Amino acid sequence: MEKESRGKRAMKDNRFNDLEEKIRFLEAILFVSKDPVQPERIMDFLECKKISDFEKIIEEFEKELEKKNRGIKLIRTGGGFQLTTKPELHETLKEFFSIKTYSKLTLPSLETLAIIAYRQPVTLSEISDLRGVNSTGPVKNLLQKKLIKISGRKRVPGLPALYSTTKEFLLYFGLNDLSELPSLEELTELFEEKEQPSLFKKI
Amino acid sequence: MEEVSGYNIKTEFFEGPLDLLLHLIRKKKMDILDINLSEITSEYLIYLKTKTGINPSREGDFLITASTLIYIKSKSLLPRYNDEEGVISEEKKLVNTLIEYDRIKKISILLRDMENTQITLWKREFITENFENKEFLLEEVSSFQLAEIFFSLLKRKEKEDISYIESKKFTIKKKREELLSLIEEQGYIDFFDYVNTLQDIEDALISFFTILELIRTNKFVALQKELFGNITVWKKKAEEREQ
Repeated sequence: MEKESRGKRAMKDNRFNDLEEKIRFLEAILFVSKDPVQPERIMDFLECKKISDFEKIIEEFEKELEKKNRGIKLIRTGGGFQLTTKPELHETLKEFFSIKTYSKLTLPSLETLAIIAYRQPVTLSEISDLRGVNSTGPVKNLLQKKLIKISGRKRVPGLPALYSTTKEFLLYFGLNDLSELPSLEELTELFEEKEQPSLFKKI
Repeated sequence: MEEVSGYNIKTEFFEGPLDLLLHLIRKKKMDILDINLSEITSEYLIYLKTKTGINPSREGDFLITASTLIYIKSKSLLPRYNDEEGVISEEKKLVNTLIEYDRIKKISILLRDMENTQITLWKREFITENFENKEFLLEEVSSFQLAEIFFSLLKRKEKEDISYIESKKFTIKKKREELLSLIEEQGYIDFFDYVNTLQDIEDALISFFTILELIRTNKFVALQKELFGNITVWKKKAEEREQ
């Protein structure tokens, strides 16, 4: 029984002759996918037994995109892989599509998002307390942009909504998961590095 | 104190009171953990005085912090007794909020950097999703097309399942009169029978509430022999009511 099924799979699996063909197929999948493609979705299909086999295909593909000086690159985001344009083309693309302004998050929204990202799940009143200002507006705005969601209700009087970040949040900032955000210690280090040079200049 | 007037604070915009406090602390080159409160408080108040044309709901937040600052300052000016814990905890609380807020600001800067990087990486449907192109191109449409659009809109409208919510026809007051006269007439009310004569669920609900209300005010007595069984309602006799 086992032998037979194995044999069948082997026959079915003989789809790709070499690495190059796998890369070709990977490129096609990534090209048509709107969202990042999760490795587990295509690993089996690309006959990868181990994650390392898959990583090799990805690596080769990345190299190729780099070597041939193409307009697109491969990025890792939201726990998957996605094709994007190369950053150096940004200005040219803007010109071509005649885009002058693009919407970025406002400072209050960024602050609110920072709190939710690090403290989730968190209520509106906790956010407002931490910011020292009422944060209803930014929370609404972030909900609308789907960067946050209501993930539950806090078991205190009034059952206030608890907010958490979404998958869109990860994609928006190019994160694979929340652990990629710097820890609070790393944060202090990061900013000490940034602040020190200016200190020396003053002396 | 003389230096204060030299600040060009009017041109700066602060997200909130904590933002302003942090800014003042930085300007004075103080350590968050070791703030000269009286100095910061006066700076803060000067800023509030020079501020013009702000949104009152925002100003409210600024005033709360101002009152906290003044409270801490005035407490610290009073002769110290042993029980000064109140002041210390208020001060500690403020310092902690400031440290927290300082962190939030740093994270926001970081997130902004990440956002700026991501914006240069264009993805599928990036243009429609993230870019605001204010210009709309007008397209010429023939009158036939216009009519077609209009009729398809009408058709869509027909398909819509519209349900109406009727306004409240029943009031407890009216129901009460009805039930009282009915009980005068019959001597008792068989609740199940009564409900069956009613037209809709709302009427039944109001009747039930009214009966409960009448029992509460000691006008009616109700008896239910078993769970989910029928309910019989009587009028309470005057002598029973007095007891």
